Amino acid sequence: MMPALVAHDLTVTVTDRDRRFALQVPLLRIARGEAVGLTGASGTGKTMLLEILGLLRRPAPGGRYVVSDDDGPGRDLAALWGAAGGRAQLTRARGRLFGFVPQTGGLLAFLTVRQNVMLSQRISDRIDGAHVDALLSRLGLEAVAGMRTDGLSIGQRQRVAIARALAHRPRFVIADEPTAALDPEAAQDAMGLLIAAAADHASSVLISSHDRDLLGRFALTRYHLQARTEGAQVTSTLQPARTE
Amino acid sequence: MTLLVELSLRDLVRDWVRFLGNVAVMAGVIVPLLVLFGVRNGVYDALIGRLLDNPATLQIDTRGNSSFTEADAELVRGWPETAFVTLKTRSLFDYVNVRARGGNTIREAVAAPTGDGDPMLAPQSGLKPGEAAVSAALAGQLGLAVGQEIDIVTQAPERPRQLVLGARVGLILPEERASGRVILTELALLDLIEAFYDEYALPDHGITAGKPLAGRVADFEGLRAYAGRLETLAPLQARIEAQFGIATEAATAQVAAVLGLGRNLGLALALTATVAAAGLAAALVFSFWAEVARKRRMIATLGLIGLDHRLIALFPVIQAAVTALAGLALSFALFGVAAMVAERLFETGLTEAGGLVRLSLAQALMISLGVFAFVLTASLAAARGALATDPAVVLRDDA
Repeated sequence: MMPALVAHDLTVTVTDRDRRFALQVPLLRIARGEAVGLTGASGTGKTMLLEILGLLRRPAPGGRYVVSDDDGPGRDLAALWGAAGGRAQLTRARGRLFGFVPQTGGLLAFLTVRQNVMLSQRISDRIDGAHVDALLSRLGLEAVAGMRTDGLSIGQRQRVAIARALAHRPRFVIADEPTAALDPEAAQDAMGLLIAAAADHASSVLISSHDRDLLGRFALTRYHLQARTEGAQVTSTLQPARTE
Repeated sequence: MTLLVELSLRDLVRDWVRFLGNVAVMAGVIVPLLVLFGVRNGVYDALIGRLLDNPATLQIDTRGNSSFTEADAELVRGWPETAFVTLKTRSLFDYVNVRARGGNTIREAVAAPTGDGDPMLAPQSGLKPGEAAVSAALAGQLGLAVGQEIDIVTQAPERPRQLVLGARVGLILPEERASGRVILTELALLDLIEAFYDEYALPDHGITAGKPLAGRVADFEGLRAYAGRLETLAPLQARIEAQFGIATEAATAQVAAVLGLGRNLGLALALTATVAAAGLAAALVFSFWAEVARKRRMIATLGLIGLDHRLIALFPVIQAAVTALAGLALSFALFGVAAMVAERLFETGLTEAGGLVRLSLAQALMISLGVFAFVLTASLAAARGALATDPAVVLRDDA
């Protein structure tokens, strides 16, 4: 089966005075509907990797980042960075291909839960009210659908963020430490809902977390960022995680 | 775009305290300026109106005895500053006696020449041949009405017979335009009177003795001219004096004082408006910009989930536009109240049309457009800030 996402030889280098950090992605393959867990110590570039994959950060030239349709040809998203009108194309592609679950929701406080969830549909022009209702039901948010998000608990807000990330039926969901602000019980609950809801929609999901134990409770393909320091140079490399 | 407008408005409603703060700042600057502008209009228009109510304000009279011909009058008539000009006969013969045809009462009146376009006759453009305009006082004393026949009687010391010239009342001048007993007639009639005084024979009018009129060369003592506008009075006066090398009389100093007052009021208002606008610009620029900085994460979220960055840049601009509209609405409402209070307090009655504080619809529209453009410009820094917001901060700030 053809992978939905293939990234190889992607690199990003950032310099801060005399310190240098390089992130290297030799190979990352994600199949349609696959759930992938990304771990790594603090400062190894987990968020940076998610930014590259979410079309938020430009990789260095030379690598490839290909997203494929089910049966169609792949499209090199890395090439969009240098294309004319690239910023608008990147934004459009990001809106249609990806859903995001940040660490703390990133919800709009002046909208209700339902309006927040519908936002990704409206932006990507994929309005489907029934789907929103189904997601709200699936994530246990029916009772608070008409409430403003600032009246919700942190756990509820994360579930709203998950619903919003899935509402426009994206190919991929990128979740950056989605349970970091939750207590262990709520974290397991939210993580389970995220993986299950993504599977319901055949969306691939990439979850970064520092909590290896939590990720270990779910059937995930695991990748790990391993940093190596040589003087002022830190190089972090993505590699398949060993089974523990 | 609809989505963006909706989001902008919802955010504005949720942040109503900040919104009202910006609206109040706008009104705090705009209302005093509107009142100042309105007062400037009211006072200035009243003074100008008073000047223009009296056509004599624009009048220039030559002083002393000079010698003018019809060609001189034609020259002045051709100048762009001139609204009307007529030659004047010798002032020695300005007085005539007037009576209603067949009446017994006779009154002495000052006679002056008139013609088509004479502002003294406005709104009437002129008199028909054989007509005269009489002042309200003269008409009242002789019981004259428009259309009535009158006799203009002149008696010269050396002439055994009176000269009696007929005319018909074509217009009765209002009291405020001509005080006392005054009669305005065509120049040819006054010229006949002058010829009569100069002992010429006027057989058509029953004066058979005297020098033959055919040998007389018409010569006039002076000119009476009217400027087209207040602003052209001084230039026309200077031009006449330079052209003919004579002195003239006009209300130039009074007109210059009012025009100068208008200019100075305008300058003072412009200076005040400039300083106020600078303050308002600073307040709005920093407010809009700070708001974008405060909402950086929300704006980044919109970019993260796929809203075009160019649309996101319009987010603060739309909010600024709504703020401008609300600020203008409040400002004009408060201006209306302030104007009403001012009228009640001062009861100026400066003009028949209106009072102390005046603002025309066209001026209000221009001010509104100016303020709207001003506020939108102030929001551009915020738009730039929104445009530069990196969607990745939603992930990065958490990391």
